Amino acid sequence: MKLNIDGLLVYFPYDYIYPEQYSYMLELKRTLDAKGHGVLEMPSGTGKTISLLSLIVAYQRAFPLEVTKLIYCSRTVPEIEKVVEELRKLMEFYSKQTGESNNFLALALSSRKNLCIHPEVSSLRFGKEVDGKCHSLTASYVRAQRHSDPNLPACRFYEEFDAVGRQVPLPAGIYNLDDLKDFGRRKGWCPYYLARYSILHANIVVYSYHYLLDPKIADLVSKELAKKSVVVFDEAHNIDNVCIDSMSVNITRRTLDRCQNNVDTLQNTIHKIKETDAAKLKEEYRRMVEGLKEASVARETDIYLSNPVLPDEILQEAIPGTIRTAEHFVGFLRRFMEYLKSRLRVQHVVQESTPQFLKDIFDKVCIDRKPLRFCAERLQSLLRTLEIADIADFSAVTLISNFATLVSTYSQGFTIIIEPFEDRTPTIANPVLHFSCMDPSIAIKPVFQRFQSVVITSGTLSPLDIYPRILDFRPVTMASFTMTLARTCLCPLIVGRGNDQVALSSKFETREDFAVIRNYGNLLLEMSAIVPDGIVAFFTSYVYMENIVASWYEQGILENIQRNKLIFIETPDAAETSMALEKYQEACENGRGAILLSVARGKVSEGIDFVHHFGRAVIMFGVPYVYTQSRILKARLEYLRDHFQIRENDFLTFDAMRHAAQCVGRAIRGKTDYGLMIFADKRYARADKRGKLPRWIQEHINDGSLNLTVDEAVQLSKHFLRQMAQPFRQEDQLGLSLLTLEQLESEEMLQKISQIAHQT
Amino acid sequence: MASLSEEVLLVVKKVRQRKQDGTLYLMAERIAWGPEGKDRFTVSHLYADIRCQKISPDGKAKIQLQLVLHTGESTTFHFSNESSALKDRDAAKELLQQLLPKFKKKANKELEEKNRMLQEDPVLFQLYKDLVVSQVINADEFWANRLGDINSTESALHNNKQEVGISGAFLADIRPQTDGCNGLRYNLTADIIESIFRTYPAVKQKYSENVPHNLTEKEFWTRFFQSHYFHRDRINTGTQDIFSECAKQDEKGLKSMVVQGVKNPLVDLMSLEDKTLDEGYGASTTPPSTSNRSVKESSNAAIIKRFNHHSAMVLAAGSRKGETPTDQASETSSTDGNSRDSDFFQPPVKKVKLQEAIEYEDLQRENRPKTVALNLKKSDRYAHGPVPLQSQHYTTSQDIINSVNYIQHEMVNYKPNLTQVLSSTAASSAIAALSPGGVLMLAGGQQAINQMVPTEVQGELKHLYAAAGELLRHFWSCFPVNTPFLEEKVIKMKSNLERFQMTKLCPFQEKIQRQYLSTNLTGHLEEMLQTAYSKFHVWQTRRMMRKT
Repeated sequence: MKLNIDGLLVYFPYDYIYPEQYSYMLELKRTLDAKGHGVLEMPSGTGKTISLLSLIVAYQRAFPLEVTKLIYCSRTVPEIEKVVEELRKLMEFYSKQTGESNNFLALALSSRKNLCIHPEVSSLRFGKEVDGKCHSLTASYVRAQRHSDPNLPACRFYEEFDAVGRQVPLPAGIYNLDDLKDFGRRKGWCPYYLARYSILHANIVVYSYHYLLDPKIADLVSKELAKKSVVVFDEAHNIDNVCIDSMSVNITRRTLDRCQNNVDTLQNTIHKIKETDAAKLKEEYRRMVEGLKEASVARETDIYLSNPVLPDEILQEAIPGTIRTAEHFVGFLRRFMEYLKSRLRVQHVVQESTPQFLKDIFDKVCIDRKPLRFCAERLQSLLRTLEIADIADFSAVTLISNFATLVSTYSQGFTIIIEPFEDRTPTIANPVLHFSCMDPSIAIKPVFQRFQSVVITSGTLSPLDIYPRILDFRPVTMASFTMTLARTCLCPLIVGRGNDQVALSSKFETREDFAVIRNYGNLLLEMSAIVPDGIVAFFTSYVYMENIVASWYEQGILENIQRNKLIFIETPDAAETSMALEKYQEACENGRGAILLSVARGKVSEGIDFVHHFGRAVIMFGVPYVYTQSRILKARLEYLRDHFQIRENDFLTFDAMRHAAQCVGRAIRGKTDYGLMIFADKRYARADKRGKLPRWIQEHINDGSLNLTVDEAVQLSKHFLRQMAQPFRQEDQLGLSLLTLEQLESEEMLQKISQIAHQT
Repeated sequence: MASLSEEVLLVVKKVRQRKQDGTLYLMAERIAWGPEGKDRFTVSHLYADIRCQKISPDGKAKIQLQLVLHTGESTTFHFSNESSALKDRDAAKELLQQLLPKFKKKANKELEEKNRMLQEDPVLFQLYKDLVVSQVINADEFWANRLGDINSTESALHNNKQEVGISGAFLADIRPQTDGCNGLRYNLTADIIESIFRTYPAVKQKYSENVPHNLTEKEFWTRFFQSHYFHRDRINTGTQDIFSECAKQDEKGLKSMVVQGVKNPLVDLMSLEDKTLDEGYGASTTPPSTSNRSVKESSNAAIIKRFNHHSAMVLAAGSRKGETPTDQASETSSTDGNSRDSDFFQPPVKKVKLQEAIEYEDLQRENRPKTVALNLKKSDRYAHGPVPLQSQHYTTSQDIINSVNYIQHEMVNYKPNLTQVLSSTAASSAIAALSPGGVLMLAGGQQAINQMVPTEVQGELKHLYAAAGELLRHFWSCFPVNTPFLEEKVIKMKSNLERFQMTKLCPFQEKIQRQYLSTNLTGHLEEMLQTAYSKFHVWQTRRMMRKT
């Protein structure tokens, strides 16, 4: 249908529309009009992606000079592919309606592992290996060497692409990962480099967060993307953690050992080169004196996305003399490494700020702050000069030099913690130096600064106001949309007591309590008897799950559950869990029914959807608080309190509830879907917890279902499931939660929609 | 005396049967007993004929072994060797225990099959009664022709039969009970054993390897329940435990399943993450290495692994039959997302799954065939279980709607065409002509047999026809007679036919004569028999001539 969104003609590739989709587009249009940033929450399964795409594509077509590019960031590879497929659907609709083929170019970009078509390289299992192997075939000096020695192995796809691929731009169309591979095979071009080159002129780019947020990758891939782009972060409820992860560094003894080897290799290579090709080193030295002018010019002219690791000041200056020659730099690295080694020899936990660390390093080994800051750049240059093919081998020394640059650049927002052993095993020495980022805004700042509109969206972003605070930006729109429902297809229940009135809770004091564990077991057992097909149960942590499973096994609860359903359990091993997941789905599919025991914050809770019969009930055992004893977390909480005025408890609860909401939200993926959401912990009943759940879940919790016993919950569930099993037709939804174009255009409906949308 | 080539497995001397001393022989295919001092067997049973064996309780003075046959007869042997009677009996019992099941299966299967055929086909059953029970021909002859059919139908039947799945909790059903004196008692049924074998093929393999050569069945299961394999949470593995190998094999199976990966790319956690952080980056600490995990933790991990494996195996056991090996091969190759040729397999699955994932069924206009919604007046009944439906042939609701529409349409458009009907005189003359005795009904003056003959006679005649047909079929199937076997058979069949005529047909003829019914009822039957006889005579005279 064709919609009129605030004066903009939007093609929407379906015959009907949900009211909230309309509101969402309206809000999104305001964000784009204002050229500002937005935070939008809308439940999963209400067609967020297609609404986003429809509106932004329409906007791009209407104002081609205002918005030149859409950068759509999602989290997982399947998500990325789904987005591209939805886009394909939209574009097909466009060409059917307008009768002309449009010249949109949209493509997905992923790592080499997912795009490589070289027979040998692509058969490697791990992404890192693929990257390394690819680099060893395609690095510039490797190819230069091949001129003199044609027998060296080459990647014919890259050579072919390099020879002709850049001259003609990729023809317009929608390219998913597989389409890129097909295209690459047909032309004989490398799909990965083709995609990386093509994102510069594509209208829509779909890739993962890391390409924008991780400075190491963003610098390579995304820095030349146009300023007039709209950036969308989908599934953004965890975006702060992604930011923090990309800026944090851990150094163990093993890292240092490997680093030692790297430095030795560097030294040897330098010696060799000195004998054979001294000119090369001289040339490098000259470049060092010139400084990093190129980068500075580029940034001034606003071509590049700035790299937070490469601060502006560095660009003005030349590399300090102490590390300009290769040998000096290697010596410098050695000193730095020895210093780190000595720090790792501590017997007690040390926590210090970055200035303290810098002072200490100056006092002990006379390393100044300034050369440290150039460390990362200097190492890159050296590796290039020495023509080292396999960069992957040098990951340790790269890590150390990145650390050096970061630690000397930021005086705030980071902390250094040195732990001589793990808390759980105090007898085994395993010293780790955590250089931990506490301020997610550092990594995302360049994105907010550079791009005109950044939209953060997800199914669970409540409470909305916390994201602008921790990411330090000022949104022009913030909205949370609920799911309009013709029938209440979700049933959140808070089970606070067992049948024997024992309070159910996963809190630390009662964690080992057998009565609680038994009651949890009873809850699952009873549910397994009444819920059809699949049940997913989430635990607060892996250790907790292991303990509970073990004691359920001893008490014979699991055996009884097995009479009703098969049991599958998430393990720390991803491959094993994938298999368990697939078998779980198979068991749901063939009618046997199954239970999946899983972990909040685990991979399953983050990336897998349990649509329809794959998840008729989700049980959340306990409140998934993060492990609060960790020093890194404590430091971060302190920082949040001091700099953003967010109280520790508020943040912890917020974090726990967003994960809980993620877990239970996995079961509802649309209005035709239905599922039970069982929160098995009495603490969920408290207003401060409940209030942090997304609105679309919160509004279905009535006061009667706040502190149920297991039996009561079973009764309510039975009733709910029977009602839901009745046929549900499109006509039932029409006019309430599903609108035709005529209905949407009626004055009355528009009023109703705006009323619903502005409840927040 | 039996042929010498027969292998004798066990000889037990001093076994009494009917108060006569003798020797018991257990051979490859039969059990036999001969009185002392004579070189022939007075008792000989094929194992296939034996239904079961019974032994006298341990405390009893007489140590006996009884064989019950399928026919219901039984034979009792009394082991009378004072010193080793018990041992002898047990040896015989053990051997029989192993031998009987092998033959039993075959015999049972055939019996079952025959039984089923007779039950399903009443005509056949009648035939069987007429021919076999009245001893016109013997059962073997009767089945000789049928069994070919059995074998061909058998395979078809097996394909149709649905494999029964395994309960997920079959291990939970083996609740150990204390027997009061510091021991545990496990109750195993054949079903449970079957479940264990199907779920854990490794155990089955062990079973066939060890039982009965190394262990008795009882010992095997005792060890199974004692083993670490059954109690997977116990970590200490004895190396002499025969099941430790099973555990390893399972581990291997699990690993291969894991390595094989998953078909559905949407649940593949390995390829979920697009770009993982390099080692050393990230806020989270490295996971604790497995070496310093405590014993308890690793035993917990073992439990979790075991549950996953168990569930996977139960699931696989349910669907194992359907998969053909080629299917599996293509699956395995398609799972490995990186190998080159796999790319040709992969996209379809992936495409389908992706399409499924982005589908919003309620946003699209429905264009599926319209169905009639279930309108529940009494939702109680809906909630309280299904009612069995008798009818087998279902019409879809669409069909019903169509036909209702069609009939409605027809009825709306129906107009009686009153101008083009017959005149009343023409109609009455036509009725007169078509009534019995009318002009057009003269040809049908001969009354149908079903109006002349009482029903019981009709029934009998039907059976006679069926029986005669069967015998004649046997007879005619012998021609052309080109082997000595067929010669023999044809002669036998001829005598069967004569016997049939004597014992069945003639009494029937007499009966109908007594009831003054038209005798030519059996005329056709006799004609058929005569044709067979004359054919036989022709063949016989020709054979004589050839011989002379």
